[in-house]
Amino acid sequence: MTPVKGGYAVDVPTINVSERARRENATVWSTFRAFAVTLRHLFKSLFKGDTPTIYYPEQTRPYSERFRGTHILTVRGDGSLKCVACYMCATICPAECIYIEAGEHPNPEVEKFPERFDIDMMRCIYCGFCVDACPEEAIIMSREHHQSVYNRSETIYTIEKLMARPGIDAKGPGYRPNRPMAEAKIFNKEEQKECAFPSVIEERHPAVLYESMIRRRG
Amino acid sequence: MPKVTINGQTYEAEKGKTIIQVADEVGVQIPRYCYHPDIGIEGSCRMCLVEVKGAPKLVPSCATPIADNMEVRTNTERVHQAVRYAMEFLLLHHPIDCPVCDQSGECWLQDYYMAHAGHDSRYPLGQKTRRKKAFNLGPLVKLDQERCILCTRCVRFTRNVTKTNEIQVFSRGHNAEIGIFEDRPLNNAYSANVVDVCPVGALTSADFRFKVRVWFLKGTPSVCAGCSTGCNNRVDHSARAQGGGIPGYTATDGKIYRTVGRRNVDVNKSWLCDEGRLSFHTLDRWPRLRHALKAGEQKPVDDLLPSIHERFESIRKQYGDNAVAALGSANNTNEALFLLKQYFGGHADFRLSNEVDLYQQRQDDLLRRLDKHANTHGALDLGLNGELGGLRGLRERAAKKEIRAMWIAFHPQLVGEDAPEIIDELRKLISALEFSVVSTTHDFEWARAASVLLPMASWAEEKGTYTNYAGRVQITSRAVMPPEDAQPLHLMMAELLQLSGRNVPRDPSAIFDAIAAQVPRYAGLNYDNIGVLGVMPVEAPQEVLR
Repeated sequence: MTPVKGGYAVDVPTINVSERARRENATVWSTFRAFAVTLRHLFKSLFKGDTPTIYYPEQTRPYSERFRGTHILTVRGDGSLKCVACYMCATICPAECIYIEAGEHPNPEVEKFPERFDIDMMRCIYCGFCVDACPEEAIIMSREHHQSVYNRSETIYTIEKLMARPGIDAKGPGYRPNRPMAEAKIFNKEEQKECAFPSVIEERHPAVLYESMIRRRG
Repeated sequence: MPKVTINGQTYEAEKGKTIIQVADEVGVQIPRYCYHPDIGIEGSCRMCLVEVKGAPKLVPSCATPIADNMEVRTNTERVHQAVRYAMEFLLLHHPIDCPVCDQSGECWLQDYYMAHAGHDSRYPLGQKTRRKKAFNLGPLVKLDQERCILCTRCVRFTRNVTKTNEIQVFSRGHNAEIGIFEDRPLNNAYSANVVDVCPVGALTSADFRFKVRVWFLKGTPSVCAGCSTGCNNRVDHSARAQGGGIPGYTATDGKIYRTVGRRNVDVNKSWLCDEGRLSFHTLDRWPRLRHALKAGEQKPVDDLLPSIHERFESIRKQYGDNAVAALGSANNTNEALFLLKQYFGGHADFRLSNEVDLYQQRQDDLLRRLDKHANTHGALDLGLNGELGGLRGLRERAAKKEIRAMWIAFHPQLVGEDAPEIIDELRKLISALEFSVVSTTHDFEWARAASVLLPMASWAEEKGTYTNYAGRVQITSRAVMPPEDAQPLHLMMAELLQLSGRNVPRDPSAIFDAIAAQVPRYAGLNYDNIGVLGVMPVEAPQEVLR
């Protein structure tokens, strides 16, 4: 391979810098051209209403269906937590921001429930892995992303705060990948009729959802 | 010796062994549920089926004795199919509640399902048989009948090992289930071993249940310090920080969650007694001593040791060498006691009461012994039982002003209570002394009277060797870090020896090399040849476990 112009092994275009600088030199005419651009956009936004800005926070931009905002802990029909404290979310969490303490539930069908479920929102990276890992659909993400607080300790969300926040339902849920699967597999009418233990279906026994995941993999 | 060929490789094996035993020895993996080397053969799970040349059907390898020129194959398609179908039957009514099951992560059903089965259940989940869940068999064990695969390991444990027969199989056929009689709970002294032997999540420990998921734990091979038997165990402790910056949660400094039996045929087989298994809770029973205290003020340990050394030296100069002595503990490691004896020039003892006579006496006929100290034999080997006469003798000498300054190392018993008269004697001893240094693990009220109070690392926080009742030398490992300023006794002694101009190693294995060079009984031993199972230094009559 023979070196070409400039000593490079490949063909590199040579730019004459001084020539280009002279061509792009600011003149009176280019100043007027710039004013023209500004004025064009000014009139466009004044009369046609074509503005690129929005009146935030009164207006917001549309977000994706799968937007990953602050987490929600979902509840059963009777208002108790769906979470069974299996620690899957705490295991998968790359930021290690979930802290769970499990307790013995009085009902042996449920058996295990979280006595404490804390998420450190300052540490969370909103990756949604916890939602993917959850076998119960007990943790989902919301569309909420305003998290201004007065002091640091408020950024650690406890069960009460994760379960119910005022106005969280208005925007609908965020990232929730297991929902269609769960409805199709578990909550269809025929399977409910066959089931000898309807309470299992209603109460959403941990195994019910877990089974659906096994089938999907197989 | 018969020759057996397993998967094309020929091995010589002892006569009378079964195929699975030979396979375990040579490292061929055969799946099993009901077979356990220490509780005998049942042959009910059908997981260990293998192909034997000449046999018309597959044979259970756990119950088939080897014969000469036997040709065994464990990896044929026929065997895989058989194991797969056995797994399908075992999992037929399994509730698949892995998210709430304490066993998941170390469950043999999970392991073998992934390795050998991988099928979809043919039984709709809603129609699976429901049974009793989470009811207490005894104070330490909970049973979930839905997860049980009827391998009867627990039944045979209570039948063959403890001979108490609390757990039985009730009903027959597809109604068969594990249970207890109404008036006889599972409360023998070894009850929690059934949790260890249970390959699935049917039996779970009431003590460990839901505390932590097992994949967060790290296992450190260690030795139980609950009594002089020195059972081999595995200390499971937190391995990684969780929960980020959430206040009140500090997993990084280490927390012991459970201990489980580690198989050592010569000492404890696979068992631990319940007291020893739960003895790690003793470390949290009283507040730990976290800082050195001198006249009620917190001081760094490294600043105090030179002043302690100077004080000992001045008393030695004034009243003679005999005026300074030490009281070790039979729960200190050999390394610590060896350096203690070196620093105090032999004016050291370790006996608190008459436990020296007890250390070989059995409490029952399985594992437990009456002496609740781990290293009495080691202290005797090192010659710590001098003319000082134990705690009582030291107290009398201190009262007569023969002894004016002392170092007292005190570990509380991990099992049971320390006798009140021992605490009383220690109290009197401290008040009779001119200068007393107490190194203890916990913040005891009686120890506050000492001139200097030093925090000491406890069991599972230091590395060292214990010598059990029979003279077997075993390594106990550091599983968690000592709290804040606490140090192992051997480090404090090495520092004092350095101050007195003698250079000694600080690494426990190097200290043990010095012991091996000086104590004839330990000649030729080092940490490498002691290993994880320990070693018996000389041939001594050893009681055989039944």
